[in-house]
Amino acid sequence: MRRVIADLVAFGRQYMRSRVGAFFAFAFPVILILLFGAIFSGQGSVKVQLYVQDLDDTNTSHAFLGALNDTTVIVYHQIPANVNIVTYIGQNSVNTALLIPNGFEDSIRRNETVNVTLYGDPTQSTYGVAASVVSGIATYMNFQIAGARPLIGMASVPIGEGFKFIDFFLPGMIGFTILTNALFAMTPVAAEYRSRKYFKFLATTTLKKGEWLLSKVLFYTLIMSVSAVIIIAVSSLVWGGNLIITPVSVALMFAFIAAGCFEFTSMGMALGMYTKDVETASAVANAIGFPMMFLGGTFFQIEAMPPVIQGLASVMPLTYLNEGLRATMIFSNEGKALAYLGVTLVLGFVFFVIPAKLLSWKTK
Amino acid sequence: MAKTGPSDEVVIDVRELTKHYPDVKAIDGIDFEVHRGEIFSLLGPNGAGKTTTVEILEGLREPGGGEAHVLGVDVRNDYGRIREKVGVLPQDYEPFDRLRPREAIAYWAALFNRRITKPEIAALLETVGLTARADAYAMHLSGGEKRRLGIALSLVGKPELVFLDEPTTGLDPGARRDLWALIKQLKAAGKTVILTTHYLDEAEQLADHVAIMNKGKIVARGTPGELILQYGQGTTIVLADAGEAGLAALTARGIPARLEGDNVVVHATAAEVRQMLAKLASIDVPLTEIYTRRDTLEDVFLRVVGARMREGVLAE
Repeated sequence: MRRVIADLVAFGRQYMRSRVGAFFAFAFPVILILLFGAIFSGQGSVKVQLYVQDLDDTNTSHAFLGALNDTTVIVYHQIPANVNIVTYIGQNSVNTALLIPNGFEDSIRRNETVNVTLYGDPTQSTYGVAASVVSGIATYMNFQIAGARPLIGMASVPIGEGFKFIDFFLPGMIGFTILTNALFAMTPVAAEYRSRKYFKFLATTTLKKGEWLLSKVLFYTLIMSVSAVIIIAVSSLVWGGNLIITPVSVALMFAFIAAGCFEFTSMGMALGMYTKDVETASAVANAIGFPMMFLGGTFFQIEAMPPVIQGLASVMPLTYLNEGLRATMIFSNEGKALAYLGVTLVLGFVFFVIPAKLLSWKTK
Repeated sequence: MAKTGPSDEVVIDVRELTKHYPDVKAIDGIDFEVHRGEIFSLLGPNGAGKTTTVEILEGLREPGGGEAHVLGVDVRNDYGRIREKVGVLPQDYEPFDRLRPREAIAYWAALFNRRITKPEIAALLETVGLTARADAYAMHLSGGEKRRLGIALSLVGKPELVFLDEPTTGLDPGARRDLWALIKQLKAAGKTVILTTHYLDEAEQLADHVAIMNKGKIVARGTPGELILQYGQGTTIVLADAGEAGLAALTARGIPARLEGDNVVVHATAAEVRQMLAKLASIDVPLTEIYTRRDTLEDVFLRVVGARMREGVLAE
């Protein structure tokens, strides 16, 4: 064990002295949590800017716009009646615009169908929000005009009341930090040890390959644990938070950090074995790590992704780390968390065995 | 440091050792012995098979055929038993950039399961002449200082046997001579040193025994003195700036001579030197000076390999 600790201390000194390592371990995740927190912390009061050209300009059209305004989701801006709406949209880079046609009120009075027209890019989320709201107001007014009342309503019971986006994001941020530090750092480290012949030099000592690997896993577990505490503390101080803090959830969180470091450090080692130099190793780590970062549920919920992408996400090692952390830190679902912990450990073992068995410090 | 000299005890025994790759015979059936307490030099150009040989003896490379025993252990088996008795400075050694020499020594000692005290670290730094640079990051050390650190690490396990693979390559003359002094110190301390080099003067200055390697074979072996005696031509008498006219004058009198640049050189055995000098003095030859030169390993190398060597490369 003395050799493992000595290697851990020596590696840690170099890592912290490089400053880049310390930045990505501690500063970068804090910056991201502040940035994403600022972007998404007000998600419940998101407002869609809707530009409206009211060619009717009657009490009925005003009532329609008033109802839109009352939703608090829409902030509408007037488009002058004397301009072409399509030209106006182009010239003013408008995302979503609504046209209320001339004769809107007259058509309703004559009991004739009349359409309002929504302009915009259907792929934009703001368009979807505006379309839902406009459609909802139209349905509401149709009921009012017809003197009818809806028979089916909807009551909502929030689960996990009080959870915010930052609570969803925080476990993903911990998983992301483990990925970027353990995988992105270890792949070039392994390549550097090979290209600078450090492995050969280490082979002249009594240090074993497994001990060298173990010291790296322990090192990353240590700094990622510190990093996770900092991330949670900063997030709680700045954005508040509703994470479940119990002895079990905290123990599981640290177990996931250790398992994640085991998994991604070993994966980085395995990748570094097969790359010729540090530059290639970094490119390989990025090529594998970046898709995993986005598909592994760090920033977006996997359930919201298309089925094909969900299939891809299910084979991403990061998915099980992120979802496992969420299961314990948000939902207090220990059963699911333990299952995901098991998957992470099994994958870690597979990745550990590859470099431990195949990595040779000797020359053929 | 207790001074000791070479003993009869064989610490490295190599018999018919081979290492063949699909495109090259890196080692092609070599034999040699190294005795405890001596400096043994493997001398040869780049690609001669020196590093392959020492890496097999360091337990870092699998041998092909033949036998190799180090400190009584077959290098194919049980190298772990002697690992702590062997120190290695690899070829092109690079230290860990952001470790200080003081820290690197403590780290390396732990990798040899050794508890090293601060005074012991200080003593080792003193031995290799790095006391003043003990707290500098390794990345800021000069080339010579980095090699010294490498030697310090090779000594940290208190080895009986030290492999130094081209320790002075690329260093300036001053740094090379400083390292030579350090290598002599190792021998004085009773270490057995295996030195690979492509510097002929280095081998001649330091080594008790030399094996000249070329194309995977040992082409000559012995003490520097034995090699010079066996392959050299005794003493060379140089007639500086004698030129073609001098050569013609000597040849006309039946004295074998040849041109080396503008100099005319004549070879003589030790017994013939006095007589030959008298003979040459009686001939009217235009020259600026006349002096004698003892053969060196460079002359031996030229004869056994058939080419001169500069910075590890054979010159045609």
